[in-house]
Amino acid sequence: MPILKVQGISKQYEKVLAVNNISFEAQPGRILGLLGPNGAGKTTTIRMVTYITIPDSGQILFGDDRVGPASQERMGYLPEERGLYKKMKVGEQLMYFAELKGLHKSVAKERIRYWLDRMGALDWVSKATNELSKGMQQKIQFIATILHDPELLILDEPFGGLDPINADLLQDVILELKDEGRTILFASHRMEQVEQLCDDICLVSKGEIVVNGALSDIKKQHGKNVVMIDFEGNDGFLDRLEQSGSVRVNARSLRHAEIRLLNGTPSKTVLSAALEDVSDITRFELVEPPMREIFVTAVTEQQGQQALAAEEV
Amino acid sequence: MTKNKTFIVAKNEFLKRVKTRWFVFTTLLGPIVLIGFFAVIGFVSASSIENNESTVLVLDETGRLFSQFDGVDEDITFLHAEGPEDRLRQRVLDGEADGYLVLPENIVTGDVEARYYTMGGGIGEFASDLRFYLRSAVRTARLEDQDVASEVYDIINARVGLESIRLSQEGEEQGSSAAYAVVGGIMGFLIYLTMLIYGSVVMQGVIQEKMNRVVEVIISSVRPFQLLMGKVLGIGAMGLVQMSFWAVLMAGGTMLAGTVVGLTMDTASLELPAEATQAEILDAAGVNLPDFGVEVFVFFVVYFLLGYLLYATLFAGIGSAVEQQQDAQSLMLPVMMPIIMSIVFLTAVIEAPNSGLSIALSLIPFTAPIPMVVRIAMVDVPLWQISASLALLIGTFFGAVWVSSRIYRIGILSYGKKPSLKEIIKWMKYA
Repeated sequence: MPILKVQGISKQYEKVLAVNNISFEAQPGRILGLLGPNGAGKTTTIRMVTYITIPDSGQILFGDDRVGPASQERMGYLPEERGLYKKMKVGEQLMYFAELKGLHKSVAKERIRYWLDRMGALDWVSKATNELSKGMQQKIQFIATILHDPELLILDEPFGGLDPINADLLQDVILELKDEGRTILFASHRMEQVEQLCDDICLVSKGEIVVNGALSDIKKQHGKNVVMIDFEGNDGFLDRLEQSGSVRVNARSLRHAEIRLLNGTPSKTVLSAALEDVSDITRFELVEPPMREIFVTAVTEQQGQQALAAEEV
Repeated sequence: MTKNKTFIVAKNEFLKRVKTRWFVFTTLLGPIVLIGFFAVIGFVSASSIENNESTVLVLDETGRLFSQFDGVDEDITFLHAEGPEDRLRQRVLDGEADGYLVLPENIVTGDVEARYYTMGGGIGEFASDLRFYLRSAVRTARLEDQDVASEVYDIINARVGLESIRLSQEGEEQGSSAAYAVVGGIMGFLIYLTMLIYGSVVMQGVIQEKMNRVVEVIISSVRPFQLLMGKVLGIGAMGLVQMSFWAVLMAGGTMLAGTVVGLTMDTASLELPAEATQAEILDAAGVNLPDFGVEVFVFFVVYFLLGYLLYATLFAGIGSAVEQQQDAQSLMLPVMMPIIMSIVFLTAVIEAPNSGLSIALSLIPFTAPIPMVVRIAMVDVPLWQISASLALLIGTFFGAVWVSSRIYRIGILSYGKKPSLKEIIKWMKYA
């Protein structure tokens, strides 16, 4: 049973239709990646889910009810543009956020201690925020988001500004919350992270959904159409292949290339072209397209279609 | 639950500010600054009185009047002068004296007028002083000529004081209406200061919250309206605590206040005889000062609160629309106009508390708090006027809350270009 049901919501600002009839669902115990280029309508969508703004049409159900002040207490939102009160102490600040979420003081106190300890931040409890580094503030903000044990977590670029050690720590916590049955909405531009974390994908572009479904299904639909090749020697074959129009080279470095096969080109074409130039091949693999490839393809296709449609009008 | 969240925000705003050094500092130093401020005004007006010191040459053609002028006034030095008027004129033009007074020979017996020549054009208080001395000198000479008994002089020259007594429904109240005017004026001025100061604290708070980007997290937990009201109420509570502390201090220092008040007064508004000395002014104000009904202070607090609530709400709306303090200036102007107007008309209200202008100003909600408090302190304001002004003020406050919260809702999430007034009005129409 999905806990969050977004049903045909639209939102207009001035002359811009920020969100156009979007529908999707989020399941407990799963992470839904909300993706899209800048200005696609992600933030507007999130703001409607969190009841910061209200859709012009359509509805959003959380559990059995429409979102509202009551659902706000069951959600935790970490916005991309986030901040803390500069002069307030970490402990007081977390207590304020917890109280605003309807948490009782005594419960909040215990949870603040637990999470500060868990995130290795217990020493900062009586420090003012402006004494903390950016990464430390990031951790405090994350704690503020999960203090009230929300059923739905909305995380917009949660890893930004974190070093690898803290990023791993955060990822562990997120996966743990997922395993406990929380629903997580994850917005990011970092496709590797999306690939690692997300069970489902909802890709938005220009206010509309272009791809929606389980990540594994989406990948399967696209089929294995990407060649990963590691080689030694001359890479002139990459230029020849691209010029012929049968492939597109996505990533290219000294000894590695990621090649998307276009128009049903068999992988063998790549292999034979490569053999003409290179001195050795250490890896040749046909794989499902990475998330990055799916993102770029879907968005350029949709925007191309829209441009065409606009010309016809 | 919703009420609760407003309370949580208010509590946080209150505690956060009360704990700061700024709060302790202003609370302790506020009265000192305020007294200092009034003392400076007092000092300036006192020194302007000193500057009124002047020298007058007296050409006494009667030969008997000059003795009446000699040493009669501390501030005006009368010098006996001889000789052709041209020479006197030259002395005045040279700056040796401020003017010269010609007392024609037959001024005591006949119908001629004395003439006073000055470069400044003797007006105001000085002229009325001069006229008073002239009149009493001539009168004394005339009485002498009639051979009147010295007791009669004393009777005629005896100073007749004028005490003004304030009439009210409850009966006469002791004390000059001037004292009430001064206290009313100070109360009005305090409302002005606090409304502006606390109002801009609210605005700054809103701008900071927006700049820190905390606001998006907060409004995913509370409604923008609750955040707005919580802020306004929390900071208002802080203001009330601060003002109460000051009130206690002031009550303790009434004696000192009386002196300071005396120094700041303008003799004209006192309705004392124009030649009253500084000591007499002090007397009039200092002695009768604390004689106020409790309702005056109750209304002072009520109007301060309502005025603060109205303007703080509007300031919060403005703050939400901008990202920097400087950008707020131009948007603040239309909101500030009525407050400035009520201060500009403050003296007019003090001079004629029951005039049409005063009544109108104290009814119009945007200007009401200051003139109404002044009027309540000075005269018996009819109940219907107080109730009407309160009703209008409360109604306008709710209107302001509606307008501001609609601007606020959109404003706190808008970054980038500073919106024009027109755009802000458009925001109000969004659902």
